[in-house]
Amino acid sequence: MMQHLPYVLCLILFLVGLYAIIVKKNLIKIIIGLGIIDYSLNLFLVLVGYRKYSFFPILSKNEQVQPMVDPLPQALVLTAIVIGLAVTMLVIAIAIRLYEKYRTFDITEIRKLKG
Amino acid sequence: MKQKNNNPGMTLIVKTVTRLTVGLIMLYGLYITFHGHLTPGGGFAGGVILALSFIHLILAFGRDFVIKKFSEKVAGIFESIGAFLFLTIAVSGFLAGYFFMNIYGKGTPFKLFSAGIILPCNLSIMLKVGFGLFSAFLVLILFTSTNSKE
Repeated sequence: MMQHLPYVLCLILFLVGLYAIIVKKNLIKIIIGLGIIDYSLNLFLVLVGYRKYSFFPILSKNEQVQPMVDPLPQALVLTAIVIGLAVTMLVIAIAIRLYEKYRTFDITEIRKLKG
Repeated sequence: MKQKNNNPGMTLIVKTVTRLTVGLIMLYGLYITFHGHLTPGGGFAGGVILALSFIHLILAFGRDFVIKKFSEKVAGIFESIGAFLFLTIAVSGFLAGYFFMNIYGKGTPFKLFSAGIILPCNLSIMLKVGFGLFSAFLVLILFTSTNSKE
């Protein structure tokens, strides 16, 4: 159980983001929930590549070769961060347009689907 | 409210601190980029820090101050230069052999100018990411200004 505790905490962080997306009515809070889900998934991927008692996968001067963590998930997460940034930018642009049309961030008042 | 309109941006304290720190933040971004092949970091992280220094300027001094000196068109030009530089480095490998070939030699390990084409690649990634983020932020601001005037 203790072995899998970080993964369980990751799941809890994911559920916090999901709660924000489902329950909250403010658009900005929904966007923050999206960001929390994004970061929890990134954290999960980095944790998968972790090995106990090992160092970051970069060699520096006068250093002996030691056990290193898996660098592949880290490279993948770097790409995922960029994609998350682009998604957040897109969602914020849509939220700004919605605010200019309806003058509110409350999703229960944004009802008219026409034009 | 009238004073705010005459004097865009934040208070005098924020402006003074920004004037002192923006150069240091920019320099730190360049440092992260130039040491990308030796320490953690690289083109992406350095570019993000560079973009943050510009965003810091916008938040402290207001939109018009920055756009007067550095419009979104100039940012787009720098962004395109970054992409073009990366392609040029990749294609220049054909001079000696194949795509992305290291034509500058390997150098001695753990020196600043040692890793061949990694340093120029990091520089072009920094241009692309930094000015791309900056222009995305500018576009988000310009959206609101054009629509509220109508």
